[in-house]
This record gives sequence, structure tokens and C-alpha cells, in this order.
Amino acid sequence: MIVNEWYGYFNSKLDKNSLEYLLTTATTKGIDSVHKHIKGKIAALPNGMPQLKSLKLDRKKLDAFFDYLLLAKSTEVFAATDITHSWEPQPQVNTPAALEEQILKHFKKTKDPFLKQRLWFQLVRYYYFMERGDEAISADASKTLNTFNAYKNAFQQNMIYHRTLGYVAGWYYKNKNYAMSNYLNSLCYNYSMEAKIPAEWSFRPQEEADWIRTLQMAKTTAEKATLWHLLGIHYDPQRAIQEIVQLDAKSEKLDLLLARIVNKTEYGLDNFYQSAPDSAAKQSLKQNTALVSSIALKNNTAKPYFWNLAAGYLNFMNQDYTAARSFYNTARKQLPKDDKLVMAQYKILDWTLYVKELKKIDAKTEAQMIEPLNWFANLKEGKDTINSLRFYKALDQSISNLAELYKKQGDVIKANAFKSYFQFYADNNKIEQMKALLQKQDKSTFEQTMLRYYPFNMHDLSYHQSQVLTYQDKIDEAIVMMNKSESGGFIMPANPFNIRINDCHDCDHENKQAKDMYAIDVLKTIQNIKAEIKQGKNVYKNAYLLANAFYNVSFYGNSRTFYQGKVMQVEGNTPFEIPGTFRTMLLSNKIAEKYYLVAANAAKTKEQKARCTFMASKCERNESYNRAYNKPENANENYWNVDIEPVFFGKYFSILKSQYGDTQFYEEAIKECGYFRSYDDKY
Amino acid sequence: MSFYYWKQNFQLSKGQSDILAETNGQKLYVRFFDIKWNTKAQKPYPEAIINFRHNSAVPAITPVVFITNQTFEKLSQQGVDSLAIKCNELLKNLALKQKLHYKAVQIDCDWTVGTKDKYFNFLHSFKAHSKKTLEATIRLHQVKYQFKTGVPPVDRGVLMFYNMGKLSADLEEPNSIYNANTAEKYLGSLNNYLLPLDIALPVFSWALQIRANQVIQVYGKIGRAELSNTQNFSPTAQKDLYKAIRNFFTGGIYIKAGDLFKLEETDKALLEQAAVQLAAHLNKNEKRTIIYYELGNLNLSAFKAKDFEEISAYF
Repeated sequence: MIVNEWYGYFNSKLDKNSLEYLLTTATTKGIDSVHKHIKGKIAALPNGMPQLKSLKLDRKKLDAFFDYLLLAKSTEVFAATDITHSWEPQPQVNTPAALEEQILKHFKKTKDPFLKQRLWFQLVRYYYFMERGDEAISADASKTLNTFNAYKNAFQQNMIYHRTLGYVAGWYYKNKNYAMSNYLNSLCYNYSMEAKIPAEWSFRPQEEADWIRTLQMAKTTAEKATLWHLLGIHYDPQRAIQEIVQLDAKSEKLDLLLARIVNKTEYGLDNFYQSAPDSAAKQSLKQNTALVSSIALKNNTAKPYFWNLAAGYLNFMNQDYTAARSFYNTARKQLPKDDKLVMAQYKILDWTLYVKELKKIDAKTEAQMIEPLNWFANLKEGKDTINSLRFYKALDQSISNLAELYKKQGDVIKANAFKSYFQFYADNNKIEQMKALLQKQDKSTFEQTMLRYYPFNMHDLSYHQSQVLTYQDKIDEAIVMMNKSESGGFIMPANPFNIRINDCHDCDHENKQAKDMYAIDVLKTIQNIKAEIKQGKNVYKNAYLLANAFYNVSFYGNSRTFYQGKVMQVEGNTPFEIPGTFRTMLLSNKIAEKYYLVAANAAKTKEQKARCTFMASKCERNESYNRAYNKPENANENYWNVDIEPVFFGKYFSILKSQYGDTQFYEEAIKECGYFRSYDDKY
Repeated sequence: MSFYYWKQNFQLSKGQSDILAETNGQKLYVRFFDIKWNTKAQKPYPEAIINFRHNSAVPAITPVVFITNQTFEKLSQQGVDSLAIKCNELLKNLALKQKLHYKAVQIDCDWTVGTKDKYFNFLHSFKAHSKKTLEATIRLHQVKYQFKTGVPPVDRGVLMFYNMGKLSADLEEPNSIYNANTAEKYLGSLNNYLLPLDIALPVFSWALQIRANQVIQVYGKIGRAELSNTQNFSPTAQKDLYKAIRNFFTGGIYIKAGDLFKLEETDKALLEQAAVQLAAHLNKNEKRTIIYYELGNLNLSAFKAKDFEEISAYF
């Protein structure tokens, strides 16, 4: 702001970067050096300092500017020093006496009105700080007030005038004349955008009598409206709106308050931290809807469309869709057609109401939806942008509404296309139908539009199918499907064919793999192993490896990466972060257990059998955890509020103890595994 | 018996001086400053440092320093010692200026399990540097869970027997300053507390401003007198609950028609109830100071010197 003022003063000949430096960052010494350089007293300036020597500027004007800058800089000790609390006694911030003389001298001498007004500002500010601690001073004796009043009509009522006025308001506040202080602050607030924030912060009525007096000071209706506006943003927008409408329904001071009411109502109804709006939120929705509707109906504000849109939206939130429609219809005829943002806002409101009112979707409605759905899709994909427009939430909710409606009509394919949901992918037939739609050659315009909302392609779906087939132990088919997905999957963080007595993913992940193993490599290795088993080759060792692999691609294993994918979206480290639909599948160790038993059967030595039995016991125990994780009522729970009731000692522990108690592996397991040790102690 | 004095400007009115004289108060616990974490400087700084505006004789003073728990959450272990030194220096300087001599210092901090180590280190260090008798305030939950929250390394503790409920917009919620049912849940292990205890009792009131089912603010300066002004408020069917009947400003606060004000008071009867309940859980043979919170805002029409003597006699 001040940079722009000085930029104008120098008729745009002194660049903004140099001004910015001199006005806001330069030290006294820096300012002096730049000035000396211009005057030729210094040959060169350090890098980064503005080189102004070559500029063709009025030297007199420039010298006056530097004089002013140095003076202004010397006032910063009292006017722009942030006083923080500290352990040492606070230094008193004083206004140096000599400075008053200096500012006065400059002020009297200066003719240039631009500079003279700034010196007036400096003087008033100086006196404000000088008189700040003096509670007893009368208005008549105050140099702050007298200096302001003596010249207040001598200058333009521009920004610097209002900044000066701000100090006068501050003087009145310090001297407890809150009525006057608040009135003057309201004048500053009204002046410009930049003046709004400090003035708004300073507006603080104390007693009701102050407020009444402040209102009486207002000279015009507009001034009164500003005062009510300030009360509105701070304390009571509903009351302020009613008062301002009475004063002047065309006042632009209504706009912000209306936006505030809408925002507050939205917040009350849709507070992230509460599941359902409480009675107070509902009541305030009703009151605000009634208030805004009654004003909108009169159509006598400066922006009647703004009120009709707001009234429509509040009625929409209040679930009175007929009233909402009626307000939107009125608004439509009043809209400023060349205001892209307002038109877009209208379109969003109109669309969300349209969707909410739909009872069923047929060919006709689908045809109607093509245009708005494409419009939103363009925004979503960044193919079109409208500055300051927020649409994600409205779009998200309306798309959800559409999906629900389709579901109700029994069209799960369309429901899923608009809003993909996990349960859909539990049924392979549905996935196939989705694939058929994606591949359809002659898609209708509506289908093409709809699929802009579908997040997956053919490859994503094939990859998912391949994962599901793996967890069904249909490895040949899984490989075919993964090839269709044209992806080999992710690299496994550890070798899934290895296992240890106590699971330790971090230890496994630390072991560097000789060769990167992708998901497809895991599948192919399993395929080869299975082929060997079929031929009766190394059955014990192969079945054991197979069991390890199925264990490790489950939640309990070292290669959870195997189930990463776009469709399942499993994040996090607990079973609760696995979507309920896929939880049973990814937690299960049943296939692993089956192969451990195959291995045990084929084992030649007691040691081998003991090892397989122990591994089967791990699967058994994990399954006992899964009982809690898989309960339907726990689908949306988290780790803290679900009780896990594991089977501590299952049947394989007992077999291990009774049949393999004399093996070396038994000793090893006792040493490593605390659970087994406690079983051993107990029985 | 004794009083706290918690205001920033230390200036006793005639009534306040009289109460002190009439209760033979030999000692006054005066808050000297707060220590808060300054987010801008990333350091703990003293705030609201006391201004002595009193020339007449005051009784012996025990300085009190309030430290926010956040200070210890943010402070590094290395910063603890230096905080203790600075705190002690500032106390010494403030007292020196007033020619005050003090034998003891009281530290008020609602510490938690997470800040225990740093706070206790601070107390150790402060004690070492100040060489004064050291006291610390103890909240009810710190008594009940003393093995979890720890017992501060000080010479004496002061049990704060107030602020036991939550500030709630729920109109059914009992008085948050004192209510017997809540207190009872915490008193079981009081006699086993590992520090000798003085007792702090409430003689303050406040009003909760409630709008749209939410507590907006708590005001000490709005009491029964203000709420009884029928131009502004009307009583409701519920005791101590008032409703604003117009929009108005008072003391810098905006009150909206329909706002509810829930008055939470301590009067003599309630204080007596608290004293009886508490005394039953304490060993009578121990000598303790009963400190009333607080003199600076004390409602002199509700409490007389005699009342304090009677209440203190329960212990």
C-alpha cells in the first residue's frame, strides 16, 4: 500500500522493488547510503541495494523523500517496536523530545502536500505515543487531538488521513471514550479494504451506553449502517442485518453479513466433530432461513439475486425443496449474466437441488444430466477453472445422491460408476459387467459422461481380479489375469518364501534380496512349485515353501505389498484399515495352514514334522484373532475399541508338545516363542 | 487461615484490609506473575507481572507463581534449570523493590504425567537456587493418582478443593466450582498423600454464558447482582439460571437476547459443606493453613470475617 502511494508520487519512475526496500526493509544506514550514492558521495553500493543514480528524477523531490524516510525511520523506536514480555525489566518506550522539534520543523517547512500530510501523520502518531500513558489528560489539552483537528480539513481524506484518524480513535480508546473511538474506527473501516482489518480489530464497545452514543454520532444513514455492520461481524449478524435493512436495504454492508450467516449455518449443520446437528443448530437454521427468506422476498436489496440464492440454499438445507426452487427461479431472472463466478454458483445450487428432488432416474433425466455432469467433470479435471469457485463438496454429495438412487433402482453398475464402492468388487460377475461397460464400443453419450466419474480402467480391474484369484489359490488363472492387467505389480519388500519362528517383518525387510521379486514373479514361482508337487518332487520342501508364500502375502506376512492395488486401497498397519469387504480374504491363513499340513505329511524326519506343526499353529492362532476382526459389527471400528479374544493354545501346540517334545526344533521354539513357552510351562 | 490475592494490581480496598485485620491474617499468598510459553519467541516468558500500588502495611507475603502446563510441554529438559534461575531472580527483584521478605514460595501448575519430569526438575532446581521453603498446589486428580502423576519434590502441598467439575452447557451439570458427589470420588486416598497439605477453599463465583447449547465464556464479573437486574435478565424456572431478555453490551461483553447465564456461586452454606466433607478425610492433629481463593474479587457482602473463622475451625 505505502509502496504504491510513493510509486504514484514519483509518477511511476521509481521502481517498486527499490521503494519496497527503502520503505520497509532498509536500515537508517542503508537509506543514507543509497542517498549518498545518488549524490555522488559514495562510488559504489553493495549488491542488492537500489542503484538510483542513473534515474532521471526530480532531485529536490528525491532529497525530500530521503529526508522524510530518515525521519520516519527514527520514529520506529516507539511506533513500530514490538514489546514482548521478558525476564528483564521492560525498557520504557519513550518518545524522544528532540524528535518532536524535528518533525514540527519539517512539517512547517514542507510545502508539497503529499509530504506535508505524511509529516502531519508522523506528528499525530508521535503525540499519540507521547500521551499514551497519561490517563488524566483532557481532550482540550491533548496535542494528539489538537494537531489532528487543526489540519484535518487541510488535506484530502485519503488513506494516510484515515491512518492518522486511526491514532485519534486509539487516543479516545486509551482515554476511555469508547463511544468516540468506535465511531472513528467505523469511519476508517468504511474507507478502504486495507483500512478494514485494523479498524475492525479496534472496534470494541464496552457498555450499552457507549454503543448508543456511538450510533448517535453517525451523521448519515450510511455511517449508521457501517456501525451495525461492525456489530454484525463481531457479535450478532442477524440483528445487524435487520437494522441495516431498515436503514437502507440497498446498503452493500449487508453482503458480508449475509455470507457470514450462511457460513455459520453450514458450519452448525455440518460440523466435522458432531455426527448429527443438535437442536440448537436446527433452530438457528430455521431462524436464519426465515430471516433471509423474508428479506429476499422483498427483492429490494442492491443484489437481489444474492439474497434469493442464499434464501434458496438455506431452504435447501432446511429440506424445504419447493421453497428453495422458488427462490432459485426468482434469482435466475436477476443474475448478472457476465459474472462467471455468480453464474457458476447458481449452477451448482440449481444442480444440487435438482438431484435432491429426483425420485427416479430414467432416460429423460439422464439426458438432462449430461450437460451439468460434463461441466463438473471439466472443473474436476482442471479443463475449466473458475476463480474462487468451490464445488467439490457439492459435487461429491450430489454424485453420492445419484449413486444411492441408482442403487435403489437396482442398477448397481451405474451406482458404482458414479461412486465406486468396495462391496461391488466382492462379486466377480459385477466386475465383469463393469469391464463390459468400459469396453463397450458404442457407448451412449450419457455412459461416456458417467464414466468420467469412474476412477478405474480395465487394467486396474484385471489386476484386482488377479489378486482375488491368488487368495483363492487359483494361481494359473491369477497369472493370466495379471498379464491382462499389463502390470507385474510391486516389488516385494522381502522374500515371501522364507519364514521364521517369530514373525519379524522389519528383520525380513532388512535382508537385501538378490533379485527384485515382483508380484508376478511370486505367482510364477508358486506355479512352478505346484507343478513340481504334482509330479511328486520334493513334496515336503515345496509344500513348505508354498505355505510360507501364502502366509506372507496375507496380512500376517512379510509381503503385504502383494495386496496393494487401486481397487482395494489398503493403507495402514492394522486389520481395521483393510476395508471390511476384503478383510476376511487378506487376513486368512487357511491356505497356508493347509500347505503346512501337506508338508508335515510328506516330511521324512521328526524335526521337519515338528517345524511344520509349529507353523500351522501360527496360522491357527492368527485365525483366532481374525474372529474379532471379521465380525460384521467391527467393520468400521478401530484398534482401540475392539476386544481381541485369541486362542492362546490351540490344537497344534498340543500336538507339538505331545508328539515332538524330544526334537531339537522343539527346544528352539521354546527358546524363541514366548507363547509356546508359557504353554509348555502350563501343561 | 489466609487468603490468596490473584489480581495484577496489588491494592487492598478498605473492606479487604478490614477482613485481613479482623481474621488476624498473618500471611497473604500473592500471585506475582504467570509463566507462559511464548510461541513467537519459543521461550517461556513471565506475564501479568504484579504492580504494587499499596503503601500501607501488608502482612507477611508468600509469593505465588502460576506456570502453565504448556510451558513444560514445550520447554526442553535443558531449559528447565535456566527457567528456575530466571523465575527466582524475578521474584527476588520484585520483592526487593517493595522491601518484602519472604520465607516461602508457592508454585501453581496443573502438571500431567507427560510434564511431570520437567516440572519436578524445575522444582528441585528452584529450591536449590532460592533456598526457600517450597510449596506446590495439588489438584484432586493428582491426589487420587499420586503414584501415576507423582508427588512434587516440595516441602508442602496445597490441596485445591475447587474447580472439580467441567464447565458445561448442560443445565443439569452440577456446580463446577464445588459439588460433593464429584469431590467424594477423589477423597478416598487423601490421608495417604505423601506430602503435608494445606487447604485452599473457594470463595468465588462466576457465570457461564451459554448460547446455542455452547458455553461461550465464563465471567467472574457477572454475579447475582448483575443477573438480578430485570431490565436485562429474567430468572428461569431453574435455580441460578437466568435468561437475557435484550441485546446489550456490558463490560466489553455482548449479550444477546436469549443467552442463558448459569450462575455458579460459593456461599457460606456451600463452603461449610465442603469443609465438613473435606475435614472428615483429614487427620485433625496436623496443623494446616486454610487459604481462601481469593481476596481481590471477594464479595464482601456475602462473607464476613466471622465466617472464615468458623469454616477454618473445621480443620
